[in-house]
Amino acid sequence: MVTTYLTRAYRSFAIHVLDVPSRLLALLLFQPLLFLPMVLPTSASTNYLLSVLVFGSLSAIFAASWDLLVGRCGQMTLGHAIFFGLGSYVTTMAWVYLGWPIWATIPLAVLITTLASLFIGFPALRVKGPYLALISMALPLIATSLIFYFKDVTGGENGLPMPISGRFFPQMNVFDLRTGEYYLTLLLVAVSGIILYKIAISRTGMVFVSILDDELASKACGINVTKYKMMAFAISAAFASLSGAVYAHILTVASPFAMGTTRSFFVVIMTVFGGMGTIAGGIVGAYLIHFIDSYVLRVIVDVPVEWHPFIFIGIVVIFILKWPRGITRFVTDGLEDLAEEREIEERGAHIWKKYKRKKKSTPEG
Amino acid sequence: MGLVESFLIYGAITGAVYALLAVGFTLIYGVADVVNMAHGAFYMLGAYIFFSFALELFQLNLYLALILAAIAVGIIASVIHRIFIDPIAEDIIATLVVTVGVALMLQQVMTIVYGIGHVEIPPFLPGSIVIADVTVTYSKILAVAVSLILFFTLWTFMRKAKVGAAMRAAAQDREVAMLMGINTTRLHMLTMAISGSFAAVAGVMISSSTSQMADPFMWLFPLVMSFSIVILGGLGNVKGTFVGALIVGFAETGVVTFVPEGTYLKGAAALAIMVAVLLLRPRGLFGKHIELED
Repeated sequence: MVTTYLTRAYRSFAIHVLDVPSRLLALLLFQPLLFLPMVLPTSASTNYLLSVLVFGSLSAIFAASWDLLVGRCGQMTLGHAIFFGLGSYVTTMAWVYLGWPIWATIPLAVLITTLASLFIGFPALRVKGPYLALISMALPLIATSLIFYFKDVTGGENGLPMPISGRFFPQMNVFDLRTGEYYLTLLLVAVSGIILYKIAISRTGMVFVSILDDELASKACGINVTKYKMMAFAISAAFASLSGAVYAHILTVASPFAMGTTRSFFVVIMTVFGGMGTIAGGIVGAYLIHFIDSYVLRVIVDVPVEWHPFIFIGIVVIFILKWPRGITRFVTDGLEDLAEEREIEERGAHIWKKYKRKKKSTPEG
Repeated sequence: MGLVESFLIYGAITGAVYALLAVGFTLIYGVADVVNMAHGAFYMLGAYIFFSFALELFQLNLYLALILAAIAVGIIASVIHRIFIDPIAEDIIATLVVTVGVALMLQQVMTIVYGIGHVEIPPFLPGSIVIADVTVTYSKILAVAVSLILFFTLWTFMRKAKVGAAMRAAAQDREVAMLMGINTTRLHMLTMAISGSFAAVAGVMISSSTSQMADPFMWLFPLVMSFSIVILGGLGNVKGTFVGALIVGFAETGVVTFVPEGTYLKGAAALAIMVAVLLLRPRGLFGKHIELED
C-alpha cells in the first residue's frame, strides 16, 4: 500500500524533474553542497569531510576538462595530468622565484599551460587511437624525469614547497580556511562546469563531436580538423591547469605526484564512472569517487588501508563492465523510461508502438 | 673499463631482455586488438610467484620455479582475459580502463599478501665474466640467452605451427578467421596466456639479474618501456619489437653511461625517442603486423 503510493509519487516526481530545465536540476543537486559548512558542526571530522570535498572539486574540474577532450572530441589521452602538474609547477615557481601575488600566478599558470598544450597537442595531429593514448601517457613521465633531473630548480622528488603564506587565506584558522577553500573550489567547479558545458553544446562543441564520430567525414565537410583539435586541447589544458594551480596553493607544494600516472588513470575511471561525453558525468564521477575513496571507505566503514583501494577499484571495474555508459546516463535513462511508461499509461496503445520503434532505433551514445 | 665498450655490451643486454618483455604486449595487440595495460602487472606477478615458489613456500629449484611461475601467470592472464577483457574488447577506452583497473587490483593483492616492502629475487648463477674489460654477471648472460631462445621460439611458432597460423589469420581479419572455423575467443585466451607468461619470465629474469628485488609498484616502469618499444616497432609487429627493444636498450644505456646523473633520465630517453619516431612515422618504424600478414 505505502510502497504503491511511494512509487506513484516517485514516478510523478520523475516526470516533473524531466520538465524542469537542466540547469535547475543541476542547481538542485548542487544545493546541498552549498549549505554544507553552515549545517555541520565545527569539528575535526567536518574539517576532514570538507577537505575531501575540496579535492573532489579540483578533480571535478580536471575530469570535466578531460571529458571535453576525450568524451566530446575523441582525442584519447592518458596523460592529462601533465597539464595539472604544469599548472601547479608554474604557479608555485612564479610565487616562489618571482614573488608574484596569488591572483597573478594562477592566471599565469593557466596561460603558460595553454600555450604549452599547443605543443603537447601537436602529436595528436599526427597519431590517433591507441598510439595517441600511449604517447600521451609518456609525456608526463618525461616531464617527471626532467623534474627529477633539474632538481635545483624544481625541488626534485620532494617537490617545491611554498611557505604557509602561499595559501589562499593565510590569516584564517584551520576551519575557516577549509570553509573558504571549499567555497572557492565550489565556485570554480560551477563556473568551469558551466563554461565547459556551454562549449560542449555550442557550435564548436558540435564540431568536436563530428571529429569524434568521423574525422574523415568532418574533413570532407570543410571543417579545419587541425584547428578544432588544437582548440580542444587548449581549452581542456586551460581548465586542467586551473585545477592544478589551485591544488598547488591549497597543498602549498608543487610535487611530481601532481602529474603522477595515478592521477591520469583516475580521471579516466572517474569520467567513465560518471558517464563519458556528458560534462556533468565527469563532475559527478569525481565527487562520488573522492567521497567513496576518502570518506566512505575510511570514516564510515573503516576498511583497513591496504584493502581499501582493492575494493574500490573492484567496484569501479564491475561498474564499468556492467554499466559502461556511466552513472549519470543510467539515472537520466531511467528517468526517461519512467516518463515514457507513464505517457503510455496515460495516452494509450498507439504511443506504445511509437515507443517500441524508438527503442529499437535508439543509437548508442 | 671503457665507457664505449660498456655502453655497447650493456645496451645489447638490456635490448635483448626488453624484447622478451615487450613481445607479449605487441602479440596481444596484434592478435586481439587489446592494449593491455596490465602487462606490467603480469611482469610483477611473475616475479612474486617465482619468489614464493623458490623461497617462501616450497624452496623449489630456481629453474623449476621459473617455469611454474610462467605457467601460473599464463593461466591467470587467460582467466583475466576471459572475465574482464573479452566482454568489452570492442571498446578501446573501456579496455584501457579495465586493464588499468586489473593492474591496480593485482598491485593491491600483492600488497596485501606480501606487504608493501620489497621481496628478494635470488640470482640464478653467481659469479661474473670479463668481456672486453667490462664485467658482466652470469645472470645477465642467462637472461639474454633465455630471452633470445623464447623470442625465436615464438617467432618460429608463429610461422610454422598451426596455432601460429591461426593467430596470424585472426590478426588479419577476426570475422573471416571465425568463419574459417577458428575459435577466436579461445585463441585470444591462448595468446594472452603466452603474452602473460613471457612477461612473467621477463619479470623474473630482469629482477634477478639487476636489482634482485620485487615490489608491488614495479609494474609501471616495464609497462612504459614495453609500450615505447612496441610503438617504435609498430603495434602488433613482432619483428619491429626486436629492433625497437634494441633501440630502447641502447638509448637507455647511453643516457645512463654518458650523461652525468643520467639515471633520472633513463625512462625519458626511450620515451623521447618514441615520441620523435611517432612524429616522423605515425605508425612506428615498421607499421602494423608486417609478418603477421604475409
